[in-house]
Amino acid sequence: MNLHWPSVRGRARADAGPLTLSAVVVAVVAVLAGSVPVLLRSTADEAVRQAVSVAGDDADVKVEARWEYDDGSSGGRVRSPRSTEALDELRDRSLDQLGSLRDSLLPPIEFTDSPYLKLLNNTEPRSFRLNYLAGATGPAVTWLSGGAPKPAAEQPDVEAPWNGPPWPVQVGVSEKTATRLGLRAGDRLTIEDEQRNPKDVRVSGVFRATDPADPAWQVAPWLLDPAPGMDGAGNTRYGGLLSAESLPDARLAFGLDEISKTVRFRPDPAVLTLDTAEQLAATVVALKASSGSSASRGYASQWATQLDAVLHDVRDEIDAAQAQASVLLAAVSVVAVLILLLAADLLVARRSAALAVARQRGASLIALGAELLLESVLVTAGAAALGVLLAALVAGGVAWGWLLPVCLAAVLAGPAFGLVVAYRATRDRRVPANRSARKWAGRTAALRRLTGEATVLAAAVTAVTVLHQRGVLPSAGGTVLLPAAAPALGVLTGALVLLRVLPALTGLRLRQALRSTRPLAVFGAARAAYVAARALPVLALVSAAGLATFALTVSTTVDRGLTDGAWRTVGADARLDLSPRKASATDEMVRKLVGAAGVRHVVAAQVIDVAPLVVGDASRPSRLVVVDSAAYRTLLADTPLTALPPLPAGSGAVPALVRSGDGKVGVGSQLKLPRDGAPPVSFDAVGVAPAIGGGEDVVLVDAAAMTAAGVTVVPNTIWVTGPGAAQAAKAAAGDALVEIRTDVERARRDAPLVTGLIRLAWASAGTLLALGLLGFALGAAAGAPERWQTLSRLRTLGLRTREARRVATAELLPLALLAAAGGPLLGAGLAWLTLGPLALRLLTGQPDDPALILPWAGLALIVLAFPVMVTLVVPAEAATRRRRRLSEVLRVGGA
Amino acid sequence: MILSVRGLHRTFGAGPAAVHALRDITFDIEPGTMVALVGRSGSGKTTLLNVIGGLDRPDAGTVHIDGNDVTALDEDGLSQLRRDTVSYIFQTFGLIPVLSAAENVGAPLRLVRTPAADREKRVRLLLDLVGLSDHAEQRPGELSGGQQQRVAIARALAASPRLLIADEPTGQLDAETGRSVMALLRGVVESEGVTALVSTHDPVMMALADRVIRISDGQIVA
Repeated sequence: MNLHWPSVRGRARADAGPLTLSAVVVAVVAVLAGSVPVLLRSTADEAVRQAVSVAGDDADVKVEARWEYDDGSSGGRVRSPRSTEALDELRDRSLDQLGSLRDSLLPPIEFTDSPYLKLLNNTEPRSFRLNYLAGATGPAVTWLSGGAPKPAAEQPDVEAPWNGPPWPVQVGVSEKTATRLGLRAGDRLTIEDEQRNPKDVRVSGVFRATDPADPAWQVAPWLLDPAPGMDGAGNTRYGGLLSAESLPDARLAFGLDEISKTVRFRPDPAVLTLDTAEQLAATVVALKASSGSSASRGYASQWATQLDAVLHDVRDEIDAAQAQASVLLAAVSVVAVLILLLAADLLVARRSAALAVARQRGASLIALGAELLLESVLVTAGAAALGVLLAALVAGGVAWGWLLPVCLAAVLAGPAFGLVVAYRATRDRRVPANRSARKWAGRTAALRRLTGEATVLAAAVTAVTVLHQRGVLPSAGGTVLLPAAAPALGVLTGALVLLRVLPALTGLRLRQALRSTRPLAVFGAARAAYVAARALPVLALVSAAGLATFALTVSTTVDRGLTDGAWRTVGADARLDLSPRKASATDEMVRKLVGAAGVRHVVAAQVIDVAPLVVGDASRPSRLVVVDSAAYRTLLADTPLTALPPLPAGSGAVPALVRSGDGKVGVGSQLKLPRDGAPPVSFDAVGVAPAIGGGEDVVLVDAAAMTAAGVTVVPNTIWVTGPGAAQAAKAAAGDALVEIRTDVERARRDAPLVTGLIRLAWASAGTLLALGLLGFALGAAAGAPERWQTLSRLRTLGLRTREARRVATAELLPLALLAAAGGPLLGAGLAWLTLGPLALRLLTGQPDDPALILPWAGLALIVLAFPVMVTLVVPAEAATRRRRRLSEVLRVGGA
Repeated sequence: MILSVRGLHRTFGAGPAAVHALRDITFDIEPGTMVALVGRSGSGKTTLLNVIGGLDRPDAGTVHIDGNDVTALDEDGLSQLRRDTVSYIFQTFGLIPVLSAAENVGAPLRLVRTPAADREKRVRLLLDLVGLSDHAEQRPGELSGGQQQRVAIARALAASPRLLIADEPTGQLDAETGRSVMALLRGVVESEGVTALVSTHDPVMMALADRVIRISDGQIVA
């Protein structure tokens, strides 16, 4: 096989334009498809780090062991001065068991915690803990007054009698704690445990943390800053710091196992990745299963962590984001392949004569194929290398999966189309003269096309079915590829349908034009009808427009879903959660809020998250909301949340609005709320409740009706709306927990996965639209010689130059209008069909699938872009041909 | 005179590579005659026809058709000339594929806004003239090469031109079909009173022509 090098070089020079366009498509797709999976992976790692950071204690790996028995020979308990050494031994043993995974963890922190203690002589509920902390570097403190806790007894291993007075123990308190509780060095706390046993806890000194950011303080932050809400709403936790010397006294002050003996490992955010986090969680689960089996009391350790649960939630989000990214990448890949086929079509249209001549002069198909393949491999390899290099620079790595189909199309399309043209130019097969033979050949071709279309349709139906049945998450089993391709296959199927429709429409238009007296309409419609059967431009343009619409719809749906999710989580512009014990102050707080600037509505309610409601004989725990329904209705009307339906009086029972996740409790249901020492309260379901706080099972009743039924209503929640709601809620909060809607939305919007997905959706939409417009230009360029040949012939009949441009516009416009109208319709339809299973709710924080939001501005852009392209392409083509005389055009065209 | 050509010069390219396609061509043609333009490939036949028909412009010289100086017309003037006075017949027919034979023949009449009834009547007449009355609704793809060229001739006659220019009209046809097309051309010249200037290699065509103009290296030799 001899390659004809001058031909190879000559073809490449002559067709540098189309070859460059193909290379640009490959390079752009290589950048996108090569970098996105890598970026998504690093985003997943970032999401894991953020989730672990937000989870705080829950993500810590905790190893707990019991203290050795401390029974004394005289029947008392012996003080253990080597308590910290027991903690050191537990730390070292745990590090050994973790092996190499310890590199993913921060240095361990030895930690002991006392039981809940209640501070007396305070009107406000306050709790107190005694804690010992020892990390890698401390935590170091500066004593502002007094000094470090000292041992309570001079003899280190003194034996304390059973049933003696409370064993004294010294603690240091932070300056904030000292200020808030009014403590000084030497003071004794008035304190008791939950069984009301008094404890002898004395303040040795007041300290200030040398480094408040020391990781050890994060294990017990209340030691520095009193922590509201940690022991229940409205309760503030305070802490006292034990020293190595006072820890043995703390053990004697409480029961043997009441003081914990713990080593805590916090995942290191600097090195934690999704992989290492999952390995760590799996290791801890294995250690959990095998721990606690030692016969030795002090040696048996219990491993615990909620890291696996934290990872489970974030893993779902990562899987969802990866699957959603796969959907977008599949869309870009499919359209890129179609555009590359169009580019190859243009290339071959320009080369058909040269290829036919080469074949007639004796070039073998193998040699021609090798020449074309060599050219396409060089172009594709160069473009892919450039794209991959850029992807590596952007993302720090390259993913190859999505690149392969695009590169394969770029390599094979040109040579394959070229060989077909070369083969047809010299084959000894002619159109049969016999009409029935021609019909038979036509039917064979139609059957071949129908088979191809049926294959695409079957693949699309299968993909959509799998997507609906299993969802897009890989955790549901199976491959993610098929469901991820569902939108792309769906749009492709729709494009095939439109491909069938277009000739019918242009034929209809031609028939109408023939009945008119406008010659240009006839010629334009005739040209449009002639080119309507060209498959590639229709498939490429409709798919590009449809999938760009789909990508934009994903973006706007997530965007609006985040806003809606925040509204539904908070229920207003701000929400305050109060302690029931502070209900007496609720009215005062409401009054303050009502009077605050920028506050429009304030509504207080009693919300019981898990009320023990009964339906029939079955227990049905639900969120019970007791609220002034009229005021709440007015407040909801000030929000985008669902309006509150009316609450008409029922048949003696308290009228209630109900919401049931499984649909088993509806209007007409009878519910009961059992009460201690009183008959249950009956509810009559008269309407559907809104999803308050994202709850699936909600029962809402009017506060006045509940009071009339003999139930005391104690509000624990306040919803506030208005532009000044957030500021007012923060100012009035005190010890109440405040949740601000805009803060919730901002936090979710700034989450790495959400940010990444929205950016990818925008990038995909832009790329798809650009590919679509490029496809339009390529399709127009491929048909230009024949179009202007015909127009030149019409000009010999007297058609004027400007009229020729209008005929060319009329030829190109139907395809542009089909893409502009059909693409967005298909994209929106596919979004409606597939967005639910894409699990966008995992990113938006909504309790159920987000409502489809159409990107109207983006749709307008897509709808306008293709017709605008016609107005650009036709003058450009006309200008190119204006330089050539009519005789030249007709001669070149063979006329 | 229906056609008067004076001192036509047309050169392609410049410098040593310049090709002098036409050199000082001068001739006249009487109305209602059929003139054969004969010469070898590359002799300048097509260039001469293009310049006469206004598809190309000469470097020097004039072309008058029915008293109008074609070389002085602008694009709109040339378009009007093609609508009213000059028609073309090409070797490759140049029909619009999705239109039927009748619709193709009626295309020039649409351009001059002929009323539908008159247009249909004229189309029927011309199809009958070229012997394709039974194929009026067939599309070009469903017709043979000879039939397509007959449709092209009918289309060229549709707007009743004064001058018919045909560039190798039988070039794509077999000999027998070519002869029948030439006979048809001869017939329509007589029946429609049109003047025809036809380039050809075909001796039969030369025999059918009222006059033969021989051209060689861009010059008239006989």
